[in-house]
Amino acid sequence: MPLTLLECDIPIPEREKHTYIKKSGECIVPMCNVQTTPGDLTERGCTYAGCMGVVGGPVKDVIHLVHGPIGCAYYTWGGGRRQNLSDNPEFHRKYCFSTSMQEANIIFGGEQKLHKSILESYERFPDVNGVFVYATCVIGLIGDDINNVCKKASKEIGVPVIPFSCEGFRGVSQSLGHHIANDVIFDRIVGTKEPDEVTPYDINIIGDYNIQGDLWIIAPLFEAMGLRILCTFTGNASIDDLAMAHRAKLNVMHCQRSTPYICQLMEEKYELPYMPVSLFGIKQTSQALRDVASFFGLEEQAEMVIESEIAKVLPQIEYYKEKLKGKRVFIYQGAPRAWHWIKLMDELGMQVIGAATTFGHTDDYEKIIERIGDGALVIDNPNSLELKEILVKYKPDLFISGLKEKFLAYKLGVPFVNGHAYENGPYAVYSGFVNFARDMDMTMNHPAWKLIEGRT
Amino acid sequence: MTQTKTERSVTINPGILCQPIGAMQAVLGVHAAIPLVHGSQGCAAYPMRMFNRHFAEPVEIALSSLGEDAAVFGGADNLVKGVHALAARRHPELIAVITTCLSETIGDDIDGILRKIDLPVELVPMHTPSYVGSHVTGYDNAVKALVVKLAEQTGPTDKINITVGLLNPGDIRELKSMLEIMRVKANILTDISETLDAPLRLPRPSFPTGGTTLKEIADTANSLGSIALCKHAGGGAVAYLANKHKVPMILGASPIGVANTDAFLENVSKLVGRPVPEQLRRDRGRLIDAMIDVQFKTVQKKVAIFADPDVASGMARFVHELGMEPSIVATGTTSKEFVKDVQAIASQTGHEIEILSGCDLYGLQEAIKADGVDLLMANTHGKTIADDEGIAFARVGFPVYDRVGYQRRAIIGYNGGINLVDLITNSILEHGDVS
Repeated sequence: MPLTLLECDIPIPEREKHTYIKKSGECIVPMCNVQTTPGDLTERGCTYAGCMGVVGGPVKDVIHLVHGPIGCAYYTWGGGRRQNLSDNPEFHRKYCFSTSMQEANIIFGGEQKLHKSILESYERFPDVNGVFVYATCVIGLIGDDINNVCKKASKEIGVPVIPFSCEGFRGVSQSLGHHIANDVIFDRIVGTKEPDEVTPYDINIIGDYNIQGDLWIIAPLFEAMGLRILCTFTGNASIDDLAMAHRAKLNVMHCQRSTPYICQLMEEKYELPYMPVSLFGIKQTSQALRDVASFFGLEEQAEMVIESEIAKVLPQIEYYKEKLKGKRVFIYQGAPRAWHWIKLMDELGMQVIGAATTFGHTDDYEKIIERIGDGALVIDNPNSLELKEILVKYKPDLFISGLKEKFLAYKLGVPFVNGHAYENGPYAVYSGFVNFARDMDMTMNHPAWKLIEGRT
Repeated sequence: MTQTKTERSVTINPGILCQPIGAMQAVLGVHAAIPLVHGSQGCAAYPMRMFNRHFAEPVEIALSSLGEDAAVFGGADNLVKGVHALAARRHPELIAVITTCLSETIGDDIDGILRKIDLPVELVPMHTPSYVGSHVTGYDNAVKALVVKLAEQTGPTDKINITVGLLNPGDIRELKSMLEIMRVKANILTDISETLDAPLRLPRPSFPTGGTTLKEIADTANSLGSIALCKHAGGGAVAYLANKHKVPMILGASPIGVANTDAFLENVSKLVGRPVPEQLRRDRGRLIDAMIDVQFKTVQKKVAIFADPDVASGMARFVHELGMEPSIVATGTTSKEFVKDVQAIASQTGHEIEILSGCDLYGLQEAIKADGVDLLMANTHGKTIADDEGIAFARVGFPVYDRVGYQRRAIIGYNGGINLVDLITNSILEHGDVS
């Protein structure tokens, strides 16, 4: 009985296929990447969220114009400002652009409004280097030809105007949105500019969105080894960075759910190889640096960097290890962090008693199941009732998830760390590992939990 | 000078959210009710995140989960399946089906679909296409849909109805306190004071305690009268009750500040036939004491106010009472009624007020640049304007998530006025400290 039906799911038995209890020797992957059950109390986002919110939005020097009624633009406004950091905060994530489609535009079409909106936005912000146009649900239904409008507008304003057909209903989750953004950026941007110079040591860091400045602690490690970073996809990226990315010698791929597409496309077209890495925790980060170093013959340099970085953080990590060992944790993330972090928890002597993803595919679940311990629960696209049941029944010492689950955990008296946007991050590589461990310790040992009436 | 419509096609830094999120907030104030959004994934996830941020509370939003198939063949199957699954798993007393731009454009007949479903749960259709109106009209439509579906004449009561509008748990607690002091029983539509500000005690109840009960909504047809605290968000329900059930209606100014709170209490007093008690007079005196205390810090300061229509107009009158100048009074929702309200304030007080209706924050910033004000009162998104223009900033409205506690504190009533005096004065003082 490896698949299991949670009590709250008895009326929707199809959820059993998504819920698996790990048993060694078995090769079962829960059903994933399918449409959410109607009526579900869902936590998932849409195709637009994956395309605009995750991959497109971090590009720092373009106007992100959302073509549709007002809501979708508003929901992605500013929130990422402290999360997807960039060195252009005077513009990036500060402004929110929308065509704000009205009923008449739905009836008669929104192409004219889109065209005018592009010109008007550019007129007000002429320093930008491009315009990204994102179509939301209703645009797909009324059939605006956004490609044509963008092409025309691009000629008029002289900078790229790039259409993304990322209507929310098109995919089952954010995941298709990632894919669409990858394809469009590859087709329309990558390879359209040449760098002034290339070196034999140029890399791209693909699939990092600079959450609370992750990239600003990742990049110096590679640079210290003697590598040059040509493009970061897409945290703190400019459109020119993306345009020149094809000249790197290696794509270092961090988020392996939102970016394998562009890595594969670049490999096919430009013979640019890619290397998947995990940049969380001491062991995985050191492994990543060694793997990348061996590609370039920089092994010695890598060992120096690793040695000096570990020396800096080891005393603190040892301190937190003592406090955290044996703690039971439930991890619910978009997808790859769930399996990146199983290994990170191992390093701290913590036990992962459950793992879940919002939009993971089969390969994500294979990695989770390979890494997680026997008896642990693996659940795909969990809804709020399932999460509640898991938190109450399994009583983890710590829940790591996102903002939408944070206050549910709190209300159930469960210590919580936001793994999406972080608490006091960044959480990547060596110094971020210390931040992460500190935040886990802080929430689990907060004195107020003990004051809750009825907490056992 | 009045500018009601921007010349631009593009909206830059919007002043409104979409209708569905307003409807969701209304439903979250009903006891054991769950909003079921008839749309795609983001239509549930995004508003949920917005509520989480503003209220620092968990919320449950169900989704009919429309995908490509539904976009082509219609979403009826998803809706029927969704309602059944939600009812069976969660046993709510009410499910509100909230439409979106997607389902309205597909053209699903949700009223017809829901009529055919036979389940022991109230099913209330709410039409809230995102390409019409704003979160304010969405809230208004939702509260109206609740009374249209549930209000029933069963014999007169000595209660009054109060529609709250898009205010906060702190406001409703203050409202209840005023009513309690006046010994008035009320049907409050809808009451988020407990549901979106629940205590942390274990075990957690299946549904948060509190919220407007279905019985209270049904009973609204029998009341002595109805008062809409925000006529743009709740006025529709109050007007419906007046037309259909002959419940006298008062579309009051939001009870923000002294005169507006006086008027509100007088209205309540008239409806129930009892005077305003001594305790509320004392609260009034304390508010005026606070206003006089800070006079040299606030007087003659020029203020730009950006909020939902009734909060903005209420606030305009209050800053006038504080001796400040409401130079710009702006709202994101397009409304002639709002323009009229603020024009009336301008002519009564003698202030020259620039009125912006249906504006975005980019337009607001242009007006601020042109006018030069000392203080901006707006939601969290106003922060960058205040920073750019080097002016003081007091957070009001929705959403406020870059500072804690706004949702807990009232802005209505005399006590809410005291909170506002502190908020406004301290923001001016803090600005003075740094600049």
